[in-house]
Amino acid sequence: MSTQARSELDSLLARLAEGDRAAFTPAFQLLWQPVLRLCSSMLRNDADAADAAQQALEKVLMRGYEYDPQRAAMPWVLAIAAWECRTLLRKRARRRELPEDQVPERAAGSEEELAERDLMQAAVSALGELSTDDRETLLATFWEEAATVSGATLRKRRERALKRLRDTFKRLYGLG
Amino acid sequence: MDSVDLSKLERRARRKYEWHRARTALLGFAPALLVVAIACAMNKHPSTALVFGAGMFVVGVALLWYGREIRRAVLPGLAMGLFPLTLALCANHLGHACMGTHCMKLCLPACTLGGLLAGAGVSLIGLRWKQGVSFWIGASGLTFLTGAMGCSCVGYAGIAGLTLGYLLGSIPLLLRRKADRSA
Repeated sequence: MSTQARSELDSLLARLAEGDRAAFTPAFQLLWQPVLRLCSSMLRNDADAADAAQQALEKVLMRGYEYDPQRAAMPWVLAIAAWECRTLLRKRARRRELPEDQVPERAAGSEEELAERDLMQAAVSALGELSTDDRETLLATFWEEAATVSGATLRKRRERALKRLRDTFKRLYGLG
Repeated sequence: MDSVDLSKLERRARRKYEWHRARTALLGFAPALLVVAIACAMNKHPSTALVFGAGMFVVGVALLWYGREIRRAVLPGLAMGLFPLTLALCANHLGHACMGTHCMKLCLPACTLGGLLAGAGVSLIGLRWKQGVSFWIGASGLTFLTGAMGCSCVGYAGIAGLTLGYLLGSIPLLLRRKADRSA
């Protein structure tokens, strides 16, 4: 997403928070693709990604009333979308705990794919334990989206957020 | 992924957005019900106060739900409406001969004075915050309905006193604003 599109999104969500309904459709159109991309990269399954993206977008626009115009919109949106993906992954993990005859047939996939998915789920869980600021910084870094700060400040924040993510991962899974 | 019906999704999201706004407005304005309850409890004609109170609550929630500039009128409108409401209710409870709905001695002047203060207050805030006509209309509506909960105890005369006071309080500042704009 270009810088111009990002600032357009900031202003659209600010207008939506104020109650300007004319900003709804352009904001929706601008958000759909990035949210879907994030969900696809996190869930690695088209159907699940579409479901999560729809739910995330509904939530983002519903909570448009609460958007703080002082902050960049994209990290906020992606944090909500990531949370939605995490919820879906959790539900999926719970489904796996059911007795074997009740477990729905899993989509064909190599062991490597499953391991990668589990690792992604673990990373998303650890991400969920972080503060909103840390989460936004990391999402802004890895999905190359707008951050509220740039340059040295962003680098410093990223370092700190990564350290905290590592610590959380270690605490949750006993791994470095 | 192409199977996602985006127009349907947008409609659903829009409905949720409106519903969330309405719910937040309802919860945000709920404390105003306390003012309505107190006004009804202290008014000699609680049913009339309840009608104005219900109107005030509906207008307040509608303004918050609608948003934009008019949303900012809610708090000043309600706060300024407390002037005529308090003055009218206090005057009504002071020991004096209040003959039915025609109390000219204390209640009517209290409503007019309250309206005057409220009108000046709303105009002053509008000028300070550099708000437009929609702010003034929204705040005036809420002030009127809040004040009317108290002034209704004097009947139509009380409402007329409140309106007259409000207009008198607003006019000098509105004229100044007009002069500032044309300068």
